[in-house]
Amino acid sequence: MSVISPNAFASPATDSQGPVLPPLLREQVRRLERAHSAERPGRAAAPLGLAEIDRLLPDGGLLTGALHEIEAGPSPSGRVAPHDGAALGFTAFLLGRLGPGTLLWCRQPSGADAALYAPALAAWFDPARLLMVTARRDEDLFWAMEEGLRTPGIAAVVGETRAADPTAGRRLSLAAEKNGVPALLLRPQPAPPQSVCATRWRVASAPSLDLTQSRWRVELRRNRFGMPSAEETPSWLLEWNDETRRLAVVSQAQHGSTGAPRRQRLVG
Amino acid sequence: MRLADSRTLLPDLVTAPVEPQADRRLIETLASWCDRYTPWVAVDPLGDAVAQEDIDPCSAGGFGGDAGLLLDVTGCGHLFGPGEAGERALLADLTERLSRHDFTCRAAMADTAGTAWALARFAEKQADLFCPPKGPREALAALPVDGLRLDRPILETFLKLGLRRIGDLYPLPRAPLARRFGDQPLTRLDQALGRIDEPIEPRRPPPTFRTRLAFAEPIGRPEDIAAATSRLLAALCRQFEQASVGARQLEIALYRVDGSIDRTAIGTSRPNRDSPKLMKLFEEKLGELDPGFGVELMILSAPEVEEWTGSQDALPEAAVRNPLAEDGTIDLADRLTLRFGKDNVVRLLPRDSHIPERVQTTAPISAPAAVEGAWSRLASMKGARPTRLLQRPEPVEVTALLPDEPPRQFTWRRHAHKVAKVEGPERIADEWWRPRPGGKTMPANVIPPVRDYYRIEDDDGGRFWLFRDGPLNAAKWFLHGFCA
Repeated sequence: MSVISPNAFASPATDSQGPVLPPLLREQVRRLERAHSAERPGRAAAPLGLAEIDRLLPDGGLLTGALHEIEAGPSPSGRVAPHDGAALGFTAFLLGRLGPGTLLWCRQPSGADAALYAPALAAWFDPARLLMVTARRDEDLFWAMEEGLRTPGIAAVVGETRAADPTAGRRLSLAAEKNGVPALLLRPQPAPPQSVCATRWRVASAPSLDLTQSRWRVELRRNRFGMPSAEETPSWLLEWNDETRRLAVVSQAQHGSTGAPRRQRLVG
Repeated sequence: MRLADSRTLLPDLVTAPVEPQADRRLIETLASWCDRYTPWVAVDPLGDAVAQEDIDPCSAGGFGGDAGLLLDVTGCGHLFGPGEAGERALLADLTERLSRHDFTCRAAMADTAGTAWALARFAEKQADLFCPPKGPREALAALPVDGLRLDRPILETFLKLGLRRIGDLYPLPRAPLARRFGDQPLTRLDQALGRIDEPIEPRRPPPTFRTRLAFAEPIGRPEDIAAATSRLLAALCRQFEQASVGARQLEIALYRVDGSIDRTAIGTSRPNRDSPKLMKLFEEKLGELDPGFGVELMILSAPEVEEWTGSQDALPEAAVRNPLAEDGTIDLADRLTLRFGKDNVVRLLPRDSHIPERVQTTAPISAPAAVEGAWSRLASMKGARPTRLLQRPEPVEVTALLPDEPPRQFTWRRHAHKVAKVEGPERIADEWWRPRPGGKTMPANVIPPVRDYYRIEDDDGGRFWLFRDGPLNAAKWFLHGFCA
């Protein structure tokens, strides 16, 4: 009678006939599915507040116990962007959506590169929450991130590096899952993807209408536990308003109107 | 006698060049080794004569054969046995271990440093070396006056006057003696007899808190060392609790069987007496320690302690709440600091300034954090700022229609950027009230240099923060940051 069907682990809502799974068992199943962390049941995902994007993400937001990757994409003309301002802005926005606590920011020393500048970051979160760590070697950086993920009281761990290491990525992902703390990898340049990350975003700056309203082109290039979407890589044009401090999705119609003249110029 | 003469008398004489530096190093090593008995170890000052007259210590017989160490073993004998037997065992242990390392030594123990010094050098019977039962006065009486650590001229005069034994000085009236020879003979005599206190100046400040663990058999496995460390830590943390302090710094020393010592230290950013947490910090460092052929003794000491503040905030004002004060973060910061160094684990602090690069500064984790909301207050007072700021503004080549107009195009790192949108200028003047790099304040009649900042978007959507520096006719342009 009890033949295990492929449907055996479907969620209880769809299986109307069978008994409702007790919460403990459901949690166990979820853990098997690796979608959530059992440790922080109330904080499985942090919504971005953008309905168009949240709709696609698992649990309607950024999973807190997972590894996310944000890379700076090439500029609209296809040239490698000289800096990752938009990706950094998007990362800061994501950090601002997470709960309170310390933000561990791990980076690698690079003499010529520009450092984080707190007065601007204050738009998204309180920079006093930042704990900045400089690690010379890749292993050390990943070690510091892992230590951070295991520490209570840490809201998120950010690693700013070009290094990609499948083993390290896997370890980070497991540590994030175990403790329910999100790990974010910020790539100043497109890097080999970490296969274990829950989401991978590519963010590039886009021409804005007004300088107080920066526009970012955000592509969701990987969405591991989320909903499938019509497009292969869903992409949005986001607008950050400096004065109201709100991020909004620019509707397709508006974005077409600003995009058209640009394309013409490129052709000519 | 000259070397040539000595060689004639003894053809197979072994010679070696004098190396005062090496001798000094050796005696320092020996002194460190003696830390196993007491933290109060000093290298014998070799009599004031050597120091005062600046004589080469070798010619005065300071190093080499006559080098000495002074140990204050008050209260240390119980580690070797009860009461007097323990002290006797300590002395025996010291001589035995040193001779096992092929050092010829003579050690004496007495109530005063002066008596011990004289006994070690001039006692005739082996039995006299340990705390003479009749007291220092009787014990010293028979010894030659050389045992008083006197300057050479005084010593020579004493000998000429027929004062050969220390006992000869006892009946002499003090006042004429002082008038004739100065303070030194009386001071030395009083020090030796215990009438004047003679403190030993230790080489390293002795820690108030320390624990030791000696092993019957030398240990060498990392797990054993870790287990021993955690036992020592537990004992030390009990001491901390009694004294209501917490450690800011801890040092562990491994005494290896070959007589060498390996040390390592950890630091914490606030007083800590939680032995599991401290053990976690040590786990990082224990790997660096080399047990060599085996470790026979481990000593854990706390060179730096602070009053225990517990989980309470050190600052009374509630406003100065430390957002990183949560235990977890502090412990994490300690672990990271241990691995990456103090300068690499920092937080960002705001500074009262208008110059963009001066607004933000970094501070180690032990410094008080920024007041909550200080950053956003600061950000709201200023104009738009970049999310990344170049440490050093980079020069750019700029094309502008008129000198006082914003640029039309700029070239940075050999890439030309066409300017699509401009916002600005925001004028930021140098702070005239601050001293210049040369240390002088700016003269009143000089107009301080100003920078005109522009926020610029290029035709590709990249947003930059540029400024023009200097007078309009000779303006230079710089790129200072990147906006989101």
